[in-house]
Amino acid sequence: MIDVSQSSPFSFPNFISQGLVEPLDELPGAKEYLADLTDSAKQVAVYDGKLMGLPYFSTVWVWNYFTDLMDKAKFEPFGTYDELMEQLRKAKQDKVAEYPIFWVAGVGLEQLPGTWYQMTWNRGGVFFDKQGAHQLGTGSIARETLKWWVRTFKEELADPESLKAQFTSSAKAFGAGKNLYRGPNHHYDLNIANDQAQSPNAGKIKVHGSSGDGRTIGDTHVYFLCSATRDKAWAWKLLQYLGGKTKDGQYTQANNLARDAMLGSGYNSVMKSTAITEGWKPWGDPVKILEIWDKATYVAEVVPSIYKPWHFPWSDRINIEVSKALTGQITADACCDNIIAAIKEVQKG
Amino acid sequence: MARSEPFRFGRERSPRVLGFVMNIPTLITLSLVLAYPIFYAAYLSFHKVSLAELRRGVYPFVGLANYERIFSDPLFRLSLKNTLIFTGFSVTVEIVLAIAIALLIDQQHIWTSRVTKFLILVPYAVPPIANGLIWSFMYSFEYGFLNRILYTTGISHTAVNWSGDPSTALIAVSIPYIWRTLPFAILLSHAALQGISQDFYEAASVDGAGALQRFWHITLPLLRPIIVVILVLRTSFAFAVFDEVLAITQGGPGDATWVASWYSYKKGFAPPFDIGAGAASAYVLAMIIGLLAISYGRLIYRRIQ
Repeated sequence: MIDVSQSSPFSFPNFISQGLVEPLDELPGAKEYLADLTDSAKQVAVYDGKLMGLPYFSTVWVWNYFTDLMDKAKFEPFGTYDELMEQLRKAKQDKVAEYPIFWVAGVGLEQLPGTWYQMTWNRGGVFFDKQGAHQLGTGSIARETLKWWVRTFKEELADPESLKAQFTSSAKAFGAGKNLYRGPNHHYDLNIANDQAQSPNAGKIKVHGSSGDGRTIGDTHVYFLCSATRDKAWAWKLLQYLGGKTKDGQYTQANNLARDAMLGSGYNSVMKSTAITEGWKPWGDPVKILEIWDKATYVAEVVPSIYKPWHFPWSDRINIEVSKALTGQITADACCDNIIAAIKEVQKG
Repeated sequence: MARSEPFRFGRERSPRVLGFVMNIPTLITLSLVLAYPIFYAAYLSFHKVSLAELRRGVYPFVGLANYERIFSDPLFRLSLKNTLIFTGFSVTVEIVLAIAIALLIDQQHIWTSRVTKFLILVPYAVPPIANGLIWSFMYSFEYGFLNRILYTTGISHTAVNWSGDPSTALIAVSIPYIWRTLPFAILLSHAALQGISQDFYEAASVDGAGALQRFWHITLPLLRPIIVVILVLRTSFAFAVFDEVLAITQGGPGDATWVASWYSYKKGFAPPFDIGAGAASAYVLAMIIGLLAISYGRLIYRRIQ
């Protein structure tokens, strides 16, 4: 029997609805943990008013740029999407880079869909409104964002390897120094791109916020207590060791994850501590990242279907259809129409 | 002094009874290892099984609902189509190459054939997932070995996106698969070649038959039983291809390399863990493989007779 497990924010509502997660409210110390959770972590860990998990780590989506090529092209980091497109075209034309931008567009729950979610949200769009109606129709922000994104592939500005890139592999590829920009991705990938042992361009990869008001998305992964546990008291101890405080009263795991892996925390006290402000410094600028952090919204605000059991098969369809659009097999309009049609199909179960 | 009789367990059994008794351990083992999972998968395919049901240990009977769902899913039909293309291509190439290479290494007077015999086994020792990853690096658009060869030899100055282009992705998955599984087919073909008596060839040569005629009228007909075996085994395994898809394309780009086992995996082992539907799709796959095996056997053995 499993006592404690971990979940991405995308899977967690599904695990809860299937009765696999034990509520924590009544357990000793749970209220203190709840009081210290960040707003973003609360949106994942609290479900129907009950505390269902403790934070494993938190992240926000940021842009990256490579200083050497930016200097060579004499560019300042973009301020708008139009400006970005102009820079990409010019960089290609001037042969500064064969493919000026690298996207995180590999198949996954957060990778290819996450890039689309982030840019759509940054432009002021969502995928479903509060009533659950899709926002993918003609003229919608999500559709227009996709059209813009497709253009970067059509004009051969985007690195074709992007379509296979997960977060880690894209960080390694970007660290090779062949692209000017890396599209929205988890902030902590800098611990690869700026790691001397893993990147020939360590220290030259910088963080950049998003266009306009800088709004972005974020999420928190959680540990949870499995309802199958045979010893709840012991499982609660283990859960606290992993996602809460150790015997000495410290958030040992969260602090270590910040210092060793540049991960954010779901606890306010950790986010304000030196574990973050000093611990992240070897790889990136904590001040800059924390500024972006303040502009992050939990991804489920953008894609509320995360709370629905049909989100996974629908997400599969997003991966397929968007990937087809990016590789020129279908248009962005056809892609969105297919995704809209898929909503009804997956809702049937 | 009287000679002692050899010790016997009671009365000597008849060969039929003895044969039955001797087979019981194998029967029990195969029942546990093969039959039980097969029947259990069939059972799951008629029930609603996901994480919640696994937790409760109660699987509600849903009849053919899982089968109806997967057959009404265009992605399942596309996965089957991709699987058929993949299997047709990889098995055909494998058989042709296996016979050709087996004929080459059967040339005893060429000393390099002994080295080749050994080297040919190397890909078979590579774990499937490692093989997929190796080829994934080789296919890399910017840093891949294949594009490097094309560029340095002047064949192409434009990099090819082998696994990222929908028109080449399925072939890009097939080639590593063929590379990994070909040694098995070569071994079988080579063993069968060694069993063909030289007398046939000598008699044919005396009658004036050329190399091609000898191959067509002697080698190929006598290889037919082993070709059936290769066809059945390779088709079964090709239908279940998974590792190379996982390592190289993960079904992409788009749905270009969604194959049946990838579909079953995504259904059963990715959220929301619809194990019933996953079992149903796997069962459909097993049925197709079974029917193909029977058809192959009948077709080719009839021709031999």
